[in-house]
Amino acid sequence: MLFNTTGFFVFLAVVLLLFYACPRALRRYLLLAASYFFYGSWNYKFIVLLLTLTAIDYTAGIWLERFRPGAKKRAVLIVSLCANLGFLGFFKYYNFLAANLAHLLGKPVNSFFLDIVLPLGISFHTFQSMSYVVDVYRGEQPAVHSPIDYALYICFFPQLVAGPIVRARNFFHDLYRWQRPSAEDVSRGLFLLTLGLTKKMAFADQFAKVANSYFANVGANPGMLTAWSGVCAFGLQIYFDFSGYTDMAIGMAKLLGFHFPINFRRPYLASSITDFWRRWHISLSTWLRDYLYIPLGGNRHGSWMTYRNLMLTMLMGGLWHGASWNFMIWGGYHGALLSVERMLRGGRPDREEWDWLYPLRALLTFGLAQTGWVFFRAANLTESLHVLGQMYGGARGHLLLEPWHIGLALLALVLAIGEEKRGWAERIMKAPAPAYACALALMFFCIEVFGVIDASIPFIYFQF
Amino acid sequence: MRRRPALRIAAACFFACVCLVGIDALLFRTNLYRSILEPDSSTGTFELTLFREQEFQKRHPNDRLVVTFGDSRFAYLPRLANEITAESGLVLRHAGIGGSDARTWYYMLRELDPTASRYRAVVFGVTDYDDEDEPLNPLLDIRALHYVIARLTWADVVPFALSFPDRHLRWEALRGAVLKGIVLQTDIHDFLTHPKERIHKAKVYRRFYDEWTYGFVETDKTVEGLAIDWKNWTVQYPPGADENVRSTVEANLMRRDDPPDGHMYKFRSEWFGRMIDRYRNSRTKVIFVRLPRGPIARPEGLVQKPTHSIRDFASRSNVLLAGEHIFEPLEQPALFKDGDHLNRAGIARFSPMLAREIARLLREAHAF
Repeated sequence: MLFNTTGFFVFLAVVLLLFYACPRALRRYLLLAASYFFYGSWNYKFIVLLLTLTAIDYTAGIWLERFRPGAKKRAVLIVSLCANLGFLGFFKYYNFLAANLAHLLGKPVNSFFLDIVLPLGISFHTFQSMSYVVDVYRGEQPAVHSPIDYALYICFFPQLVAGPIVRARNFFHDLYRWQRPSAEDVSRGLFLLTLGLTKKMAFADQFAKVANSYFANVGANPGMLTAWSGVCAFGLQIYFDFSGYTDMAIGMAKLLGFHFPINFRRPYLASSITDFWRRWHISLSTWLRDYLYIPLGGNRHGSWMTYRNLMLTMLMGGLWHGASWNFMIWGGYHGALLSVERMLRGGRPDREEWDWLYPLRALLTFGLAQTGWVFFRAANLTESLHVLGQMYGGARGHLLLEPWHIGLALLALVLAIGEEKRGWAERIMKAPAPAYACALALMFFCIEVFGVIDASIPFIYFQF
Repeated sequence: MRRRPALRIAAACFFACVCLVGIDALLFRTNLYRSILEPDSSTGTFELTLFREQEFQKRHPNDRLVVTFGDSRFAYLPRLANEITAESGLVLRHAGIGGSDARTWYYMLRELDPTASRYRAVVFGVTDYDDEDEPLNPLLDIRALHYVIARLTWADVVPFALSFPDRHLRWEALRGAVLKGIVLQTDIHDFLTHPKERIHKAKVYRRFYDEWTYGFVETDKTVEGLAIDWKNWTVQYPPGADENVRSTVEANLMRRDDPPDGHMYKFRSEWFGRMIDRYRNSRTKVIFVRLPRGPIARPEGLVQKPTHSIRDFASRSNVLLAGEHIFEPLEQPALFKDGDHLNRAGIARFSPMLAREIARLLREAHAF
């Protein structure tokens, strides 16, 4: 059930109807059942895996709270983390490791392969689960005693398959102090749901067509302009796709009375790569900061250790996305850029103010981010190097984007600047009903005219 | 804001829907976008043909107008046909479109003749008076949506969608008929890519389409040398036969259908039935013409044709059938450009024959 299908909207309408029709005490059971149904509609067999991980971390949480700091407590934490990373490692990284091992032993690449299907959203729910266990271990989060509540935290359908990664304290705050959504919440929820759908269908899927056709055969499309337009199309696709999904998830949660954190803050307006990572996939970057970068020492042990920590964190971030050298390189590339920026900046804070140099800095950041997407999207390293070669040293080539694609991108840019400087979306969400209705209608019209209606293009982050 | 939030949201959603439908209607249910449609698209060709015929009606008010409908196989030239009909005063106009079918002709006819009184006769070109099921089931042919989209009214939305037997096609037709921008997406994207060129092209086509189509000259290519051994089911193609010749011969002549399921009978009964019903109490005659079927006649009995919708219609007082075998002499390779379509020589012979046959039928029916 993709978020942009009729089937999903029927499901959502039924869930909302039942949720508000049934007594409050039963609502969490209803949400849990709906979430398992949603997950099972992809592949019901993985519900067992989800239940197993839920049971392990639920039990770990109880024990962690029960034990005093010491070896026992640490052992419980290690067992829980090993279980999470073990499942994640097996399903996501086994074949990658097997291929590399075979390569080292000089055997055919698929010598040790297993026929493994990656469970949907495993990277998201294991990270969410791990953050809970670590928070309980640190004493920052009380253990959850209701297995139903904990299971709901792990499998809550709006964010189960592609985030945002929600911290336990935020989720349980909403769950235990649940309040009927205010009119503003509902306005916001509907607006975000529509905005997300528009981003996905009218923007992401249109750019996906261009990017997919380019990356399907990069050799057949030589040229600098060709490569840049193919890569930028992917850069725009992944932004609209993932932020569209997140907007929908946040919107749905709002309609159910939950408040998810924002996950994107107009990343292509970033003035540096450091700023980019404050704006892109915020729930993952803050997770990596809190559970990896800071425990590694953060910036507390001098410049070189900071660079090392940045590199390690971003390499892990890359690897989190997928089991391939390309993702590692993508992570390493961003780690290197963050380190270089930090080195150039010295002790000064990152500049975010809008001055006359801002457009240039934003353009440079955009270009660097697009360059990184090459590793993210290309099938392998050879293809990545070929595309990079074309981007930075190819003949002129031709634009793959039609003028109306560029029009769409410029429209998005204008809206993003308006949102950044004037908070347009916020104003519309609080505007009188006619203005709010006009905004919704314009988004629907955008879907009508630009939406990819019948070709179902999956959300990119569903594969992670 | 805190008071009656549900009402506010419901009102906002309602207004959003009204606003969306309003924007769609303003653009696609008025002449605003119609006038700049891509002339070479399905919708554009339909609209141009309609525009041309409506303009002709305005410029040449005539009570002896005959309009013909068919797909690309109904290849005749009104210019040649009208030379013959000068004595009878009949003026033939062709409102057929390549790739279209009776569902499309229904909406075209409705627009051309809203009072069911403008034509002396409405002529449909068909390949058979019996119902032979074809590989492309016209009941499931969603292309009709693209031809007629600009002319579907609110009242058409449900009946048009229900005319498709398949659930997915019904949904596609329904949503397209409500929000026309979905159907016109490709056209709109193309317009946004080259707006100036499109506006110019649309203007030029509107101005000269009548002249171009009326003065059209077909190719003189032939398929002479084409031979079919029906016993051994083999084809000998003429030297230099291109892919078009091969594919049309395969599709039109060398076709061995699956067991009939009656879809052609259903389709013809529904859509020809609707059109005949429009003229029930009118002086207008509805005429069916069996067209030249191909460069080589297929043997009788090759496929089962258990129903005969066109023959059944002939029992109605306002329906006439042209002689079934009258155009068979044209079914020869020298008069066809491929497996389906007449060439220049074929059209030159068919057009006056058609005009004479229509005049004869109307004369005998005392229709003029």
